[in-house]
Amino acid sequence: MTLSTFYFLVQQTMFYSIPLLIVALGGMYSERSGVVNIALEGIMIMGAFISLFFMNRMQSSMSGQWLLVLSMLIAAGSGMILSFFHAFASINMKANQVISGTALNLFAPAFAIFTARMLIGVQQVTFMNTYRIPLVPYLSSIPILGDLLFKNTYITTFVGFAILAVATIVLYKTRFGLRLRACGEHPQAADAAGVNVKKMRYIGVLISGALAGLGGLVLMVPVTTAFDGQVGGYGFLALAVLIFGQWRPRRILFAAFFFGLMKTISAAYTGIPILLALGIPSYMFKMMPYLATIIVLTFTSKKSAAPKAAGEPYDAGKR
Amino acid sequence: MKKLLILLVVLLALGLAACAPAEQDETFELALITDIGTIDDKSFNQGAWEGLKQYAEEKDISYKYYQPTDKSTDAYVAAIDLAVENGAKVIVTPGFLFEPAIFKAQDLYPNVKFVLLDGFPQDGTYTEFRIEDNVYSVFYAEEQVGFLAGYAAVKDGFTNLGFMGGMAVPAVVRFGYGFVQGVNYAAAEMGVNVTLKYKYLGGFGPSADYQTEAATWFQGGVQVIFAAAGGAGNSVMAAAEANNGKVIGVDIDQKGESTTVITSALKGLGISVYDALVDYYAGNFKGGESVSLGVEVDGVSLPNDFSRFTTFNKAAYDAIFAKLVANTDNIRTNIKKDTDVTSASELPVTNVTVEVIG
Repeated sequence: MTLSTFYFLVQQTMFYSIPLLIVALGGMYSERSGVVNIALEGIMIMGAFISLFFMNRMQSSMSGQWLLVLSMLIAAGSGMILSFFHAFASINMKANQVISGTALNLFAPAFAIFTARMLIGVQQVTFMNTYRIPLVPYLSSIPILGDLLFKNTYITTFVGFAILAVATIVLYKTRFGLRLRACGEHPQAADAAGVNVKKMRYIGVLISGALAGLGGLVLMVPVTTAFDGQVGGYGFLALAVLIFGQWRPRRILFAAFFFGLMKTISAAYTGIPILLALGIPSYMFKMMPYLATIIVLTFTSKKSAAPKAAGEPYDAGKR
Repeated sequence: MKKLLILLVVLLALGLAACAPAEQDETFELALITDIGTIDDKSFNQGAWEGLKQYAEEKDISYKYYQPTDKSTDAYVAAIDLAVENGAKVIVTPGFLFEPAIFKAQDLYPNVKFVLLDGFPQDGTYTEFRIEDNVYSVFYAEEQVGFLAGYAAVKDGFTNLGFMGGMAVPAVVRFGYGFVQGVNYAAAEMGVNVTLKYKYLGGFGPSADYQTEAATWFQGGVQVIFAAAGGAGNSVMAAAEANNGKVIGVDIDQKGESTTVITSALKGLGISVYDALVDYYAGNFKGGESVSLGVEVDGVSLPNDFSRFTTFNKAAYDAIFAKLVANTDNIRTNIKKDTDVTSASELPVTNVTVEVIG
């Protein structure tokens, strides 16, 4: 395998890993506040749909990075709005969080298809990709790192890393982070210490909605020219990454890249002579990322560090 | 309690009164039932739907499409039941998945006409084949248009090609086999040797996996990929855009979806549905017949726009098209189809190295 193939594979891995990272970090905010968010898939679809629809309408009058940035804001905003319903049901109404999340997962693709049909007549929302950066000026000439990170890339990659850095700091180095974590571990204690549990949980879920919506857009832009009302189960994959990453930002980064690399290899092996020469059936390659997850989870689940109060509606009277 | 009951009865009666006449009025003479796709899949269902819609609107006939609840023969038959109940006289069913459903429905509804695209009625196990007078079965010679696409690509100077099919279903297999043979024909004519990667992706929807796979092919030297894969083709286009590659589209003219699409392998779906309806209303529905529409009846073709080729042009296209129509040296009848060989690697080729990836 030549060095350029390796660089290409890493660049390709970003298309999987960055959206998984962003969405899993979103899930982390929600679960750390004590609300399980299995609606990530639905929120991704909603974020991708609204923002790509915006792109579809606007691309005749603008293009390039500013349109992408605007679309990213819209994706985050629409994700946040959708997640509000989940927050309301699970925090105010004390509903079962899995059911409320499932409702959003069912609602989002139907909404996307229905709305697209009503507004543009067809289900597919096409868009022009004018956002790829073949070479980042100056940075791309750094040896090795330049080839890995600053060629054939998108600004979304750097946004993903920035979100990771912010998440690490917010969660461990700020008062807000401590309170958020307390609400997910022992909300009654947090409440006794004067933390507004409801408010913290709302913030957690809304951040997760914004990040999941953004992740939907980030996933779709490099890999297709038409959005079809689905994100191919990546919201659920992000949940797996979150669990695999033990609800901790840096481990989530590792898990997202592990998954991304596995997915890349399983899809790219047909173009890489040495891997193809192994003669392993394509089904084996396709199974690999999931098989690896099951094996790793089997060995690490004993030490699972799930937030203790995640999934439980807050009951102030409980001890 | 009694009052409540009376109220309920009144409400129900009102509801029925409101619904009943509406139901009787709403009949739809022409119906289309979709298979796993939708009427705007930019592919099979959409092509058929456009033909039906065009005829219906021109002649002011009521029409409607039905989407089965899931992809099973029972669901297809249920959708047919519903269409008949709503007054359908002609039902168009695009796709070979309808074969067992039409096998049943042709007996259930002898007075309703069926246009089955890409299929022949069979019992579901491929043991009993039977077509009644109310069924018109239409096949397309995908291998011929695949041949044209492959020929055009090699004539345009491409020497490293790829084929990505959605799944190994008969129509996709015919596209692929035709493509390989067209590539070979052009390469032999020019006296060059070319390579071709051949693969079925396993799905028809856009996905990061297909983008990655196509991107790897382009990185590895493949210059053009024939994507006979519905929405998965959009992912191949995304890969082509990022890696300086080219794509050949499928079913309908896909040049508007990406600047990388140099041409598309067209099937005359709309025309054939339209023609079938014209025949029906003229009183000579071709019931009981099964036809394969090829170049000789404009059933398949490349779009009439050669601006994205560098050297291949309309004159060259017309020449090869005329050869196929005239069947010079048995060129058309020699094209192997899905039923002739079991794998693309068994196709008789001289100037192309086919690498089939399983």
